Amino acid sequence: MPAIAIERWAKANDSSPDAPIVLTVEGTHGPIIHAVTRAAAARGARAGARLTDARALDPAFIALSADPDGDAALVQRFAHWAGRWSPLVEVDGDGLRLDVSGVAHLFGGEAGLIRDMVQCFVAAGITARVAIAPTAGAAWALSHFGGDELTPLPVHALRLDPDTVRTLERLGLKTIGALLDLPRLALARRFRGGEDVVDALDRMIGRKPEPLTAAPTDPPPRALLKLEEPATHPEAAVQALERLMPGLVHQLQERQLGARRLSLAGYRVDGSVAVASVATAIPSREPKHLQRLLADKAAELNPEFGFDAFALTADWAESLASAQDSLVEEPSGTREMARLVDRLTVKLGPRAVRRPREEESHLPERASGWVAAIGSSLQAYPSTQPAAREELSRPPRLLDRPEAIAVIYATPEGLPRRFVWRRAVHDITRAEGPERIAPEWWRQPSTSRLRDYYRVEDADGWRYWIYREGLAGDGRGGAPNWFIHGLFG
Amino acid sequence: MPEKPGFSRLKLVRREGMAPPPTTPSPYVELGVSSPFSFLRGASDAIELTLTALAQGYDAIGIADRNTLAGVVRMHSACSTAGLRPLIGCRLDLTDAPSLLAYPMDRDGYGRLSRLLSLGKMRAEKGQCELTLNDVASHAEGIAFITWPSDDLDAFEAELPRLRDALTSLSHVAASWLYRGEDNARIERLDRLARANGCSIIATNDVHYHAPDRRPLQDVVTCIREKVTITTAGFLLNPNAERHLKRPEEMIRLFERWPHAISATREFADALHFSLEELRYEYPRETVPDGRTPQQYLEVLTWTGAAGRWPKGISAKVMKQLKHELALIAKLDFARYFLTVHDIVAFARSLDPPILCQGRGSAANSAVCYCLGITAVDPATSDLLFERFISEERKEPPDIDVDFEHERREEVIQHIYAKYGRDRAGIAATIIHYRPRSAIREVGKVMGLSEDVCGALASTVWGSMDPELEDARANDAGLDLSDPHLRRTMKLAEQLIGMPRHLSQHVGGFILTERPLTETVPIGNGAMDDRTFIEWDKDDIEELGILKIDVLALGMLTCIRKCFDLIELHHGERWDLATVPQEVPEVYDMLCQGDSLGVFQVESRAQMNMLPRLKPRCFYDLVIEVAIVRPGPIQGDMVHPYLKRRAGKEPVTFPCPDPAHGEPDELQKILGRTLGVPIFQEQAMKIALDAAKFSSEEANQLRKAMATFRSRGNIETLQDKMVGRMVERGYDPDFAQRCFDQIKGFGEYGFPESHAASFAHLVYVSSWLKWKYPAAFACGLLNSQAMGFYAPAQIVRDAREHGVEVRAVDVNCSDWDCTLEGERSLSAPIEPVEMRALALRQAQGERNLSLRLGLRQVEGLHREAADSLVAGRPYRTVEELRTRGHVPVHAIQRLAAADAFRSIGLDRRAALWDSRALRQAPDLPLFAYAEARDEGAEADPARLPVMPLAEHVVNDYQTVRLSLKAHPMRFLREHYAAQKFITADRLKIIRDGKRLAIAGLVLIRQRPGSAKGVVFITLEDETGIANLVVWPDVFEKQRKIVMGARLMAVHGIIQKDEDDGVIHVVARRLEDHTHLLRQLSDEALPSTLNQGDGAGSWRAPAARHPRDVEIIPKSRDFH
Repeated sequence: MPAIAIERWAKANDSSPDAPIVLTVEGTHGPIIHAVTRAAAARGARAGARLTDARALDPAFIALSADPDGDAALVQRFAHWAGRWSPLVEVDGDGLRLDVSGVAHLFGGEAGLIRDMVQCFVAAGITARVAIAPTAGAAWALSHFGGDELTPLPVHALRLDPDTVRTLERLGLKTIGALLDLPRLALARRFRGGEDVVDALDRMIGRKPEPLTAAPTDPPPRALLKLEEPATHPEAAVQALERLMPGLVHQLQERQLGARRLSLAGYRVDGSVAVASVATAIPSREPKHLQRLLADKAAELNPEFGFDAFALTADWAESLASAQDSLVEEPSGTREMARLVDRLTVKLGPRAVRRPREEESHLPERASGWVAAIGSSLQAYPSTQPAAREELSRPPRLLDRPEAIAVIYATPEGLPRRFVWRRAVHDITRAEGPERIAPEWWRQPSTSRLRDYYRVEDADGWRYWIYREGLAGDGRGGAPNWFIHGLFG
Repeated sequence: MPEKPGFSRLKLVRREGMAPPPTTPSPYVELGVSSPFSFLRGASDAIELTLTALAQGYDAIGIADRNTLAGVVRMHSACSTAGLRPLIGCRLDLTDAPSLLAYPMDRDGYGRLSRLLSLGKMRAEKGQCELTLNDVASHAEGIAFITWPSDDLDAFEAELPRLRDALTSLSHVAASWLYRGEDNARIERLDRLARANGCSIIATNDVHYHAPDRRPLQDVVTCIREKVTITTAGFLLNPNAERHLKRPEEMIRLFERWPHAISATREFADALHFSLEELRYEYPRETVPDGRTPQQYLEVLTWTGAAGRWPKGISAKVMKQLKHELALIAKLDFARYFLTVHDIVAFARSLDPPILCQGRGSAANSAVCYCLGITAVDPATSDLLFERFISEERKEPPDIDVDFEHERREEVIQHIYAKYGRDRAGIAATIIHYRPRSAIREVGKVMGLSEDVCGALASTVWGSMDPELEDARANDAGLDLSDPHLRRTMKLAEQLIGMPRHLSQHVGGFILTERPLTETVPIGNGAMDDRTFIEWDKDDIEELGILKIDVLALGMLTCIRKCFDLIELHHGERWDLATVPQEVPEVYDMLCQGDSLGVFQVESRAQMNMLPRLKPRCFYDLVIEVAIVRPGPIQGDMVHPYLKRRAGKEPVTFPCPDPAHGEPDELQKILGRTLGVPIFQEQAMKIALDAAKFSSEEANQLRKAMATFRSRGNIETLQDKMVGRMVERGYDPDFAQRCFDQIKGFGEYGFPESHAASFAHLVYVSSWLKWKYPAAFACGLLNSQAMGFYAPAQIVRDAREHGVEVRAVDVNCSDWDCTLEGERSLSAPIEPVEMRALALRQAQGERNLSLRLGLRQVEGLHREAADSLVAGRPYRTVEELRTRGHVPVHAIQRLAAADAFRSIGLDRRAALWDSRALRQAPDLPLFAYAEARDEGAEADPARLPVMPLAEHVVNDYQTVRLSLKAHPMRFLREHYAAQKFITADRLKIIRDGKRLAIAGLVLIRQRPGSAKGVVFITLEDETGIANLVVWPDVFEKQRKIVMGARLMAVHGIIQKDEDDGVIHVVARRLEDHTHLLRQLSDEALPSTLNQGDGAGSWRAPAARHPRDVEIIPKSRDFH
C-alpha cells in the first residue's frame, strides 16, 4: 500500500485532491516530508525530503503533521481484513504478506485472487500493488518493482542495506540475474555478516525458508446469542441483554478489564443491525450496574421483522484490577459517585451533567469552568486541590455578574470608607487591599481596565469583596467605577 | 572576517530633550532591578531603565541580575552617559538559602563577588550557577547584602537567623509592595521579623521592566522560560503590571507606614563606593623588560624593526610617520597594547615552522605595526593615516585583530594561556541576541500560533528591514497582518529583537588583565569541555578599556604557508608575506582577466565580474577592489560612478559646499584617493563629520546605532540630520542622500580601509602564487581543506587550465596531502583545456610540476589508515595492503571504490572485487594462515562486466568529488549537440545579443540581498563555465528549476560588455535535465530533490532514500 498515509489522511479530511498537501514528521533538522498528495508530487515534493528544501522549490506546499501511529493501526486493520483471503497474514512495513498456499482455487485461481484483491482495495479507496510468487521475497520484489521475472530486477529488490547495494552496483552487479550468474563461493566470501547477499538470494529463490508470522488479534470482549426463531416482541432485546451480560462480564474478568463503552447489537432477519450503546464514567464490570445502564436503551430497539442474533460488545475497555472495597461491603464514595454520574448521564444526557473545574487565571470569573462529568479523565475526578494560591482569600460566593456600587474613598488609591449596594448603605469598618488584577492582555481589548480588589467588613460584621475598576488617569475612561463581586461567610 | 550583520550595540547618547543629570540625591534608590541579562526575566534593557530613572528623578540605580554580572557594563555605560550613578551588584540565588542581593562596596569587594560567581559557574553546567550560603560567607568581605524573602514567610522566618549568623554584615531584608491584597500585613510581618533579627527592612519594587506597558513582553518571556503558551501559563504570570520602575514619590507613598524602609535605600546606596571605572587599563606588565618604560621599549623595538624592514635606510617620509605615530602612542599611553600584540606575533614567528600571521584592524596599518612585524602592508605603498584609526576623543584602545593559520591557531591560544596564565587570560563572550527570526518563532509559539504560521511570519522578515516588503511577503504567505492577534505577536517580537538570549563563546577575542581575571569579571563554563569564557562581550571590554586582542583563524594563511613550503621544497626559493615581489604587472594582468579562482576574497562571482571592470594595476586598486564589492557601496550606488571615473568616462569632480560655508576642497581631502566617490567606511563617517558637521559624539552615535533593527526611528532622525545639514551647506541633495545610504549599508557590513588594506595584501600574495606557481597554489588550496568558494573539482579544473598536470589518487603514489611531483610525463594525455596554458608556460621557461591528489580527497578515509598505508609502500596486490600495510579492510574498500589501484594495474571494479574478499582479522600470522586455509584460493576469477567510462566518472565524483577522466557533460554532448546547444567556450565568440541554448552542471546559485531578487547561477560543462542571470520574473515562474536542477539547460540571450569582456547569459527559459545524469550510470530511478532552501545557506538533505546515491556533488548555494 504505497500511499496509505496520504490516502488515509485524504479520507479522514475529505480534502480536494488538488491541494498541494504534504504530511511531515519531525526530523533532527526540522520537518521531513512523510507523504504527499498527487498535486504536491506534481509540484516536486518527495517523501524523505526536508520540508524547507521542498518549500524552496515551491513555497505553496501546505504542511500538516503525519500520524505514523495511526497509519500503522490502519495497516493492522487491513491485516485483519485480509483474513478474507488467507488465514496467515503478516504486516510488513506499509504492506501485507499473505500465505495463499492452497487458497487461490477458492477465488478462481491466482489471477482471480489478484483480481479480487485489487477490486477490494479499490473499493476501500486504497492504492495497492499486488504480486503472487512462490517466496515472500520474490513477491515483495515483484510488487515493488513490477514485471513477471526476477532476473532483470535491480539488486535493490533484495532489500539489502544501501551500502551493500551501492557496492554491488559498483561491481557491475546490477540485477538479480547478474548475481545468480556468479559462483556462490566468490559471492559468499565477499559479502558476509550483516550484508549477506547470498542469504537474501537464497530466500528469494526459495533455497531457504522464510515463514510468515500471523498478525496478532485482540478482539474486544464480546458475547453472542443466536436465536432459533426470530424474536419479534419488544422485550427480546432486554431479555437477550440479561442472558448475555454474565458471559461478557466473565470475559472482562478474565482479561482484567472494565467496560467504558458498551453496545448491544441486534441483528435483524433482513440483515440490518440495531445498536444501543452507553458509556461509563469509570471502568466497570458490575453486571447489575451495566445492565441497568443499558436496559432502557435496549428496550427502545425496534425488532421490525425480528432479531435472529444479539451481540454484546465492550467497545472500549480499560484495565481494571479485581478489588474488594472492604469486608463489610460499605459502598465506596468514588465508585458510588461514578455510578450516579453514569445513571444521570444516561437519563439526562452528557451536556446536562457537568462538574466544576479549576482554571488557572488571575481573573476571578475565569478561575473556574465546567466540563462534562462523563468522558473526562478519571484522575481529574473529583477536582484537584486548589492550586497554590491559598494565601489569597477569595470569597466562597461569587456573583454571576459584578454589581455596580457607589463607594466613598480617598482618591486616587485610598481605602474605601462606605458603599451603597442595592440601596443599602454599608459603613466599612475594616478593609484590606488592594489586590491588583490587570486584564489578560492577550484576550481582552486594550481598553479594559485593571481592578483593585478590597476585602471589606461593614459595621454589622458582614464581609464583602468589592473592586474598583481602573485608576484615575489611566487613560482608559473617566472616573473609576466600583463593583461588588463576592460575599464572604 | 568582516563583522556579521547584526546588532551592533546601541549606545545611549545625550541629546536634546533629555532630562539634565540629577543634581540632588533622590530620597529613594531602587536596588532590585532585573535587566534582560536575568535571562527571560527582565524585559527592559539598560538604556530604557536608565532613561526612565533619569526622567523620574533618580540619581542612582542599582542592577542585580540573577547570578551574573553580564549586564552591568551596559548599565554602567548608559548611566554614565545620563549622569546617573550605577550601583553594580547582582542577585545571588542560592541552592540552600533565600536569595541575596549583593552590592560590592569597593574594588576588593567587587573582586570577591566576581570570584564567587566564577566559583559557582565553574562547578555548574553552561549557563548555570550553583552557590551555597557557605560560599557566600567566605567571600562576604566588602560586600553589602540584602536578603530577599521567599513567598513562604514561615520558611523565611526559620531561615533568617541562619543567614544572619553566616553573614555578619547582613542587615537588610527586602520588602516590596506587590498589590497582592495582604501587602500591609506581609510587610508588617517582615518588619517585625527584621527587627527581631537585628536587621531593617529596605524597600524595593522588584523591578522587571521600565514601564507598565512592558508587562506583555515580560509575560511572553516568562512563557518562553517556562515553555508554556500564554493561554496555559496561568499563575506563572504576574497578576498585574506593577513590577516597573516607580517614581521615588510613589515608593514613598506605598511605604508610608515604614519610612525607615525608604531611607534605608539611600543609606545603603551611599555606602557603596565602587565603580566599574576602576577596572580600566589594568594591562599586563610582563611584555616590558625590567628597567624600561613600555614606551621606551616599544621605541627600541620599532627602530630595530625599521632597520630590518628597510636595510638600505629609512626614507624621510617613513621616518616622519614613525616619529609621529610613536608620539601619539605615547600621548595616549597605548605602548603596552602594541607590545602585547607584538609579543603574540613574535611568538608565532619564533616557532619552527613559524605560524603565518597578519594583523588587521584600525591600528594595524600603521608604520609602527609594519616595523613590529604585525602586518606586512608597507606603509610606503599605501597612504593610510594613523590618526584615522586612533581617535583621541574616542578614548578607546586601538583595535588590532591578528589572523593566524587556521590549523595552528590553537598553538597561539595555548601560548597565551601559558604566558599569562588561565587566571589572567580569558576568551570574551558573544552575546547571542534575539534576531528577527528567532524572536518571531519564540513569540509565535507562546502566542499559540502553529509552527507553520510562525515560519511564514518569520519569512516575512527574512533578511529585510523594509516594512513595505514585510507586508507584501506576509500577503504572499497568506497571512492577514491586520488580524489583531498577529499584529500583537509581531509587535511583541519586535520588542524582543535585540534582547540577549544567552551567552556564547567569542571566536577568538582574548582579554588580558594584570590582576587575576576572576577578580575582574566572572568566568563560566562553555559548552565544550576545557573551555571557559568571561561574561562580557567585546563591546563591554572595549567600554571598560580592558586589553583585548582578537586571535582569529584564517584559512587562506594556512594555504599561503603551505604554498611557501612547497615552493621551498621544489623550487628552492623561500618567500614570506613581506618578501613576495611587489607590483608584478603580470599578476595584475591575470586579475584583470577575472582569472582569480582560489584567490583570497576576490574569487566570488561578483568579484570576478568586477576585476575586468576595475582593472587593478597597483596595490591600492586591490584595496578598492576588496572594499567596493560590498553591500555598502552597492547600496549607496557608488560602484558605477567610481568605475566611470576610473575609466575616464566621467570627470573626477568633488562636490563642494556653498563658498559661504566652507573650503571648496573639504571633500577632496577625504575622497581624493577614491576619485571623489566614498568607498570606505571611514570616508563616509568623515563626510558626516566634515560635510554635515556632525559632532564626534553624533558621529559615534551614527556608527554604533546604524545596524540595529530597533533603532529604525533613530536612523530616520539621523538621516534627516545628515542630509539636511549637507544640503544646508550647499551640497547636492542627491549626493548627500547617496552618502547616507552608503553609511546605512556599512552599518550592516562594515569594511573599513584598514581591513581592506590587510586583505588586499593577502589578495596580492595569493594572486602572485597562483600566477607564478599554479601547481603549488592548487596544492595548497586543496590541502587547506574546503575553505573557499569552490569545490576541489573546480580548483583542479582551474589548475589544469593553467597547465598543471593533475594525477589521480593512487595507493602507491599519494600521500595524505596533495603533493607535487616531477615534470609532466610525456605519456600523459594533454586535455584540450590544458593545451593553451601549457604552451604559454613552456614559452616562459617555467618548470611544470604536476599535482598528485592526496588520500585526503578520498571520501570517508581516515588519516590513520592513510598513514599506515604510506608507511608500508610499495604494494603489488590488494592483499598486501592488509597484510603488510595493516590498512583496515573498510579503508581498502574505500580506496578501491576511489579507483586508487591503477598503479597495480587494477581498475576500480577489479580492485573492489579483490578488496571485498579480504577479511578483517587480528594482525597475527596465525590468523592470516588460518584464513587462507579456511576458504582457499579462488579457482577461476569471476568475470565482471567492464565498467563504462561514464560510470567511472560518476563513481569518481561519488568517491573523490571530482573526475580526472572526463567531464560528465562529455557523455551528454552528442545529445545536446544534436539539439544545437553550444559549449561554454564558444560564448566568447558569439555576438552580443544573440539567442542561444546552453546546458551544464549547476555549480553555484546566488541570490545576493543587494541584487533585488536576481539570481546568479554558474553552470559548468566540459569546456568551461557560463554565468547566468535570472531575473525575478523568470525566477518566480521557474523557481522549481532554478532551485532544484543539478543539470540545467538554458535558453537565453548572451550579453557582453565591450569594455571589460564580462559575459552573461540572460535566462529566458530554463529546463531541468537532472534526469539525464542518471543515464550516465544506468540508474533509472528518480532523484529526490536535494537543494538548500531559499532562506539559509546550503545544507545537505537530511533523509535520503537509500536508492538515491548522489551522483554529482551538489552545487554550493549562497544567499
